[in-house]
Parts: sequence; structure tokens; C-alpha cells
Amino acid sequence: MAGRVWGSLAVTALASAAGLLVACGGSTAPTGAASTTPPASTTPTAPATPTAPTSPTPPTSTGPSAADTARFLDQATFGATAADVSHVQAVGFSAYLAEQVAAPVTQYTGFSYTPHTAPTTCQSHAATPTDASSLCARDEYSPFQVQRQFFTHALGDTDQLRQRVAFALSQIFVISSDSVYEAYGMADFQNLLLRDAFGNYRQLLEDVTLSPGMGRYLDMVDNDKSNATLGTHPNENYGREVLQLCSIGLYQLNADGSQQLDATGAPIPTYDQNVVIGFSAVFTGWGYPPLAGAAAAWNSTNNYDGVMVSFDAHHEPGTKLLLNGVTLPAGQTTQQDLEAALDNIFNHQNVGPFIGKQLIQHLVTSNPSSAYVARVSAVFANNGSGVRGDLSAVVTAILTDPEARGDTPASDAFGHLREPALFVSAVMRQLGGTSDGVYLRSAASAMGEAVYSAPSVFNFYPPGYTLPGSTQLAPEFGIQNAATALARANFLNTVIMGTGAAADTTVTGSIGTHIDLTPFAAPASASGLIAQLNTLLMHGALPDDAASVITSAVDAQSTTDPLAAARTANYLILSSAQYQVER
Amino acid sequence: MNRRNFMRHGGALTGAAALGQLGVMAARAATPTDYKALVCIFLAGGNDSNNMLVPIDTAGYANYASVRSGLAIPQAQLLPLQEQGGVLRYGLHPALTGSQSLWSSGNLAVVANVGTLVQPLTKAQYLSTTTQKPATLFSHIDQQHEWQSSISTGDASTGWGGRLADQFAAANGSAASLAMISTGGNNLFVTGAASQALVIPTSGSFGLSGFSTSAGDQARRSALVSLLGLDSSADLVAAAQGVMSDGLAASALLNPVLTSTTSTVAQRFQGLSSGTAAQLLAIAKVIESRSTLGAQRQVFLVTLGSFDTHTNQLATQQSLFAQLDPALAAFHAAMGDIGAASMVTSFTLSDFSRTLGGNTGGGTDHAWGSHHLVAGGAVKGGVIYGSVPTLALGGPDDEGAQGRWIPTIAVDQYAATLSSWFGASASALSSVLPNLAAFSPSTIGFI
Repeated sequence: MAGRVWGSLAVTALASAAGLLVACGGSTAPTGAASTTPPASTTPTAPATPTAPTSPTPPTSTGPSAADTARFLDQATFGATAADVSHVQAVGFSAYLAEQVAAPVTQYTGFSYTPHTAPTTCQSHAATPTDASSLCARDEYSPFQVQRQFFTHALGDTDQLRQRVAFALSQIFVISSDSVYEAYGMADFQNLLLRDAFGNYRQLLEDVTLSPGMGRYLDMVDNDKSNATLGTHPNENYGREVLQLCSIGLYQLNADGSQQLDATGAPIPTYDQNVVIGFSAVFTGWGYPPLAGAAAAWNSTNNYDGVMVSFDAHHEPGTKLLLNGVTLPAGQTTQQDLEAALDNIFNHQNVGPFIGKQLIQHLVTSNPSSAYVARVSAVFANNGSGVRGDLSAVVTAILTDPEARGDTPASDAFGHLREPALFVSAVMRQLGGTSDGVYLRSAASAMGEAVYSAPSVFNFYPPGYTLPGSTQLAPEFGIQNAATALARANFLNTVIMGTGAAADTTVTGSIGTHIDLTPFAAPASASGLIAQLNTLLMHGALPDDAASVITSAVDAQSTTDPLAAARTANYLILSSAQYQVER
Repeated sequence: MNRRNFMRHGGALTGAAALGQLGVMAARAATPTDYKALVCIFLAGGNDSNNMLVPIDTAGYANYASVRSGLAIPQAQLLPLQEQGGVLRYGLHPALTGSQSLWSSGNLAVVANVGTLVQPLTKAQYLSTTTQKPATLFSHIDQQHEWQSSISTGDASTGWGGRLADQFAAANGSAASLAMISTGGNNLFVTGAASQALVIPTSGSFGLSGFSTSAGDQARRSALVSLLGLDSSADLVAAAQGVMSDGLAASALLNPVLTSTTSTVAQRFQGLSSGTAAQLLAIAKVIESRSTLGAQRQVFLVTLGSFDTHTNQLATQQSLFAQLDPALAAFHAAMGDIGAASMVTSFTLSDFSRTLGGNTGGGTDHAWGSHHLVAGGAVKGGVIYGSVPTLALGGPDDEGAQGRWIPTIAVDQYAATLSSWFGASASALSSVLPNLAAFSPSTIGFI
């Protein structure tokens, strides 16, 4: 029997977002003098009003075409804009990537420590908002403010590629607000991913492992050594999931991502329960960093600012069985065991293909060829200067690979369904929309993706999710179903057909969510409008038969409303499967 | 590639395709005239059933408490499960009062120590290198997969709920698209060879917004539908078209049902605000409208998360059961109200149970054989089926030293019992549950 190709997996992802939304009501502006820092009040970036795109600058004989450039920007940013296309055509992919790697990091800001147990004055948002305490639960003890900053960054920040990569990493190194519900804690962890996105994987792995947010989510914090009297053993959560989800996966891989097979043709597990026990023993003896002025102590109060601290007295003694038959000797310190264990993981042959393939899936295509994976794995193994684990080199390799590039997609299987957060961002960004993120985070949630609030450590969908009845990988389809597909169209009804979302007076600096379609008002012809939008939104890839259907619908609209044509054309293009799937 | 190669969740064309694929098996499937529904309640993360079904007799409880120490439920809080002949051996978790009532009225059964198996295993056989064990034990996604598919060697692309629903495609006729409905997201359990579950929202309306009767809006809507019908060579585009098309068709059928103001089942759910209650209410509404909708055999999926209690187990499980139990009780009461009590059977599934021995964080880790609840008017309730493991670390039922039970009932047998009640013939059972022949008896008798 042939080994599984990645496996046909389905996910029990909750489509209902009811449990994860924080309802917002109208209110007067908060006036309370809480001792905590006021919630994030980043002024949402207002992108320039979109101009109708002129004919693209004819490329030089060596520069990328407009179509390939737009495809590249769809992969590297939250949505290709005409301005970005012009710039990248002028400087080329390599220079652009170098700019992006060098661009200053945008972080989540405006958050600070709050105690794990909310004070009794911290009310749920359902309470009549009269002061900051009424918004405390939403702003400080839910991911709301972090989620809306995610979208404001996606729409307007310069370090687009870093934000994309960090977002991908957040779906591999998953923590969720169901456990880390303090806003500052979630912000701290996502900032870690943003800082490390273009660094070395070994550093990322260590920073995540010692992150109090991850420590909380996967139970490594205050994970104590065995207690013979009580008959208890170290918690296995992080020891198992860091291997299964964050580094090497369940089965031995070749560099091209295919499973190695034993003599009987069966896949070869990378570890067994004894190895899980070994790593669980390693990941003992780490506690929360102390609050300012306090001494470090075991079982101290939750504090997500900073790095976990070690307590040798709580570290599991004895030898520890790791990967590839390595056994750590007894008698090492907590820190020594940790470093050795992370080295052991980092140097496992699986990391390049396991992580590389998932980054390809998040940025470019769900079903990379094994050759594509192998090329990317090779860069992970050696960035060209003898360094293993160079993430900026890996990302560069992914985006410049011949399978990702070209004027048209590499194959019929190429591409990926835009996940809700990327779909929502692309619509806004490509049309020059403005938003404070409030409606966008809610809309993405209704489509099955409440950002940073995955239902489990398996993310919203696993990398191995296949189309039902097929072996074709399509992770984002793990949350695509009747309910969420209709939610995508209904989002467009709000922002394209309607007036978007009004400002929320309970959110400082709120501007609502709006797309201004006046640049497309009263077009000379329906077909001209659709051609224009085809270039702007889809790099010319809208098929002729689809364009024809949309043209007829536009022609059937009333001409008394100068925006009717633009609304209809945009609604139909953006709700089309051709747009939903980025190719 | 033509989009029709991709699995859709239903509709006339797919129904015909399903029959074509199932061939002779479909022709043999019974064509029922009555209605039946299976409601799978998936406890995601691995429910610690050692604290769901707890020894309540003096010696049994003392042993349990000594092993579980800090994780033990206080004896006085357990809800007694009186068995036939005045026997009292076990109690339910204190939050399961509704389940206890269902037990007392004979409408709830406990099925003990069910789990993934490729072949039956004694402890000695488990430790032998020549016997087959389930693939990737203790991994969430693989064990969920194996429970949902019954295929414990891994590699499944369909679930047993889906394969069961496939058998009744003919019975459902034009309502084939409603054969499988999920309120808990996409799930392998409700993925068949020819179709996949319809996922419905549990609040609000279900359909496209913003289309008036104006000529312009209707032209836009027609265009949207036309676009969905254009052939695309891009595989994922075709798949996306399929999901949306099916969603539109299904929402037209179900929106009136889900948003009905004349539904009577809602009253049983008043005051229940959990996600589980919202899911079961939506399903109750669909079942309430079964005559209108026309489906004869339906498989439903509810998902309740957060059972992966590596830490803080007592409080977390209490909270989860406090959401599940009243919703379950309300659901079955509502089924009684609409005359469907014996037509609807709910049952739990979960990744695995959890280690009897606790970890240092006030929780437990991944284990194996688990206990499950089956409820409904047709259930032969008030009985514990199967055998409860000896609660001893390293004991005769422990695969190791932490209290991970080697199952004594296979998922296949549990599933076969439910499938048989649903109407699957003996021959159909073998295609729904390909490995069933490895186990004896093939059904357990709890329904």
C-alpha cells in the first residue's frame, strides 16, 4: 500500500463565530480614568483615493510584466494595488523583496499588562458603556483591539510581506484567545512573530517556546516535574504539539515533502509516545516572568510581557529521549536541556519541507509540486551562505520560484482559496477602502476565521485538508461551506452594494469601513468598466465568459444611479470563484 | 477539469452520481417510508470520560479517588445511575442532571470503553509486535479522523456518517442535499463518497442579502448564478463554485425553516445561550420540518470544543458539561413534543479519553478508550453496555502506566449499532464499516 500523501484530513472547525464575537453597542465616549493604558487608538491609515488605473508602464525587456507583478503582489502583500505594481515593475522582484525585508517592523501597539483575573470594575461590553470600565472586557480581555489592528496594518502598512509571513506563522505556531484572552498577551505573541518573521527558524522556535503566551496556551508554563507521591507526570501538551504542528510533523519526510516509506511501504513515524514523554520532561521548570519589582516565583501570576524564566528545582531530572535516538544526559539544567532539545528539533531533516511547504501554502499555492517544495527545502537547509533556517531566504525562494511566477498560473491545480482575512483585506486594499478594522474582524469571523482565535491548536484548518473525494490539498476549504460562502457574498453586499459600516463611537478614532466607488462612476461602457476592474483586481485573469455575464448584468442596471454599474461590477467580480481563488 | 468531478454536498445531479458510484449497493439499500435521524455530538479535544462515569460504590470510589486524587469528583456530587435489579455501581458527573433523567426514563445508555481498533486487543496482544494497532494513537487529528471514519489504519477520505448517508441517497430523493447537515463546521464524519454535509448557521438568516425584486437586483442575482455555472479548468475555482452553488440551493430550502416564527421547538431551549444549544436548536428546527423538507434519513453533526483538558480539568469539564447537558435534555424533550422521540438518536464521539493519572498541571493527557452517551426514544437506556476498565495505573486494561485504556468495543461496533438502527442492512453495513468483520458481535444492542 502506498504511503499517504500528507493524508486526507478534515477538521472540526467551528463555523459558528457566535462564541468568539464581542458584541458592540453604541455609547458615549469613555471617560473613566482607569489605571490601565487606554485601548489602542492607532489612527487607521487612509490610503489614497484610488485613481482609475492608466495603462501599465510598458515593462523593460528584462522587467516583470504587469500581470506577473500583480500576481506576485497578491502573494507578497494583502492585495496588489496599481501603485505597488508600478513600483515593483520599476525595481524588480529582488529589489522589492530586499526593501520589504529591510522595512521597519510594524507592531501591535497600545497594549500593556492587565492582571489575569479582571478586576470587578471591568465590565462586559454588554453593560451600558459610560466609561472605560464598561469597555474593559472587550478592549483588554478579548482579542478585539488586536484583531482590528491586524486589519489596519494589513490595509496600510509598508511592511506588507512581513505581516503576511507573520500571519502565516501564527497559523503554524498557534495560540488562541480562548486561552490567552488578555489583549496585551496576544499582542505580545504576535509581535514576537512579526519580529522573527525574517530571522532564523531556530531563534523563532526558541522565542516561541519561551513565550509566556505559548506557555499558557500549550501548558508549558509552570509545567512541573513528576511527583511520585501524587503519581503525576509532566504535562505533555507542548512536548507533543511543538513536534506535530510547529516543526516536524508526524511522519518522516523527504526534502520534497513526500513521506518516506519503510520496507512494507508504510510511512515512518518521526516519534513515539516515549519521545513525547522525553520532550515533556525537557519542557518543565519554566515559569512566568515576574512583574516589575517582584521576585521570580513558581506558579506566579500570568505575565505575558517578556520571556519565561527557569526554575531548576521544578525541572524533571533524569535522561530525556529526543528525536533521532538522541538521549539527553541526566543532570543538565533547565536551560541546558531546552537548548539541546531545540537544537535536536531544528536539525531534524523534516523541518525544511514541513515548514517550507506550509509557507508555500499560505503565500502561493495549496498544492506545490514536490520539485517546488524541494527547492524551498534546499534553501532552508542552506541559504547559500551555509546558514540553516534563514526565513527571509526561504520566503524569497518561495516568491521567486518559477512555479510561483509567470503571467499565468503554473497549472490547473495552482492557487489557493483566499482565506477570510486575506479576502476581506484584498477587497479593501485593492479598491482603496478605508477601515478601522472593527467591521472587518467581525466579517472575517462570520466567514469562519476570527483572527488569532482559532478553535484549537490545529488552526482554523490543517495543512493537510483535501477537497472531499480528492487528494488535492486545499487547506482554506476546511472552513469553506454553505454558511461561510454566503457570508463572503454578504460582506460584499455591505461594503460594495451598501454604505459599509458606520463608525463605532465606542472605539477611539473609529472611522467605520467604507469603499469609495466614485472613481468608477458613470462609466462610458460596461465592458470598459469590467476590463478596467479586471486589470485592477485580477491582473486580467477574469475569463471572457465571466466578463460577458457581468457586462450583461451591468447593462441591466438603472442609469439613474451613477454608481449602480460600479457596484454591480465589483460585487459580481469579487464574489466570483475566479476572484475567491487567488491564482 | 470539470467541476462536477468534485464532491458536492447534494442535489439531483450528485444524487444520480452517487447512485452510479454505489451501483449495486444502492440498489439493495432499503427504501424506508419512515423518518430517522442520527445526531452526532462531537466532543473535540478528547473528553475525560473517567470523570463522566465514576464508580459510586464504596470500594470502587475509594480506589478511583486514590488514583485520581486531586482530579477526583467528590462522591457526594455524583449523580447515581440506578441499574436493573437495584444495582448501583456508577454515577454521572454532577453537571449531567438532564442525562441522568434521560437515563432514569430509559432513554439514555452509556457505552463503555469504546475506541479505535484495527483488531481486538488484549493487553498482551497490544504489547505484541505482531498485532495491528490503530495508526498514530494519541494524536488529536488522527484519532478524531479514525473515530469519524471508523478506519483505524488511517488514510480515510470519507466518514462513516457520510457512507451511511450515501446508502440512503435514493430514499432522500430530491431532498438528497439535506442528507447530512452540520452546525459544527466541515467534518470528515459527514463526508461521503458522493457528498459532504451542508453547514448551516445557527443564528441569523441563511441566504444572500441585498437582492430586492427590482430588475437590476434580479439581473445581478441571475448573473451571480450564471457565473457559478461557468466551467473552469482551475480545480479550486470549480470547487469554490460548487460550495457556493450548493449553499444557495440549500439556503433557499432551509432559511424559512431556520428563521420560522412558528417553530415550537424553540420553547424548550429558552434560557439556553450556549453554542451547543444554538446548534441543537437549529437541528431541532430542521427535524421539526422534516415532512416539508422531504428527507427520510438525515445525519447531523454538532461540535463542542475545548475538551483537551491538559490543565484546569475540573473547572473546564464542569463548564463544558453544563453547556452540553441542558441542551441535550432540551433537544430530546423537543423531539418528544414533535412526535419524533423514537426517530431521533443522539450519540457522542470524541478523540479519546484521557490519562487516569493526572499531570502536574491539574489536568490529564491524551489516552484512548472512552465512554459515550447515546440518547433518544429508541435507545434501550438505563444500561451500561460493555465493560468499564479496571481503574489501575499499569493495570490489566492500561496500555502503559498512565491509565490509557485499551478499548473493549471498537468504533466500528458502536457505529454499526447506530447504523443498523438507522436502517442499514447487514450487507450495507460492510460497506459503511469496512473493518466491521474484525469484531464480534457486530452490534452492541444499545438501541
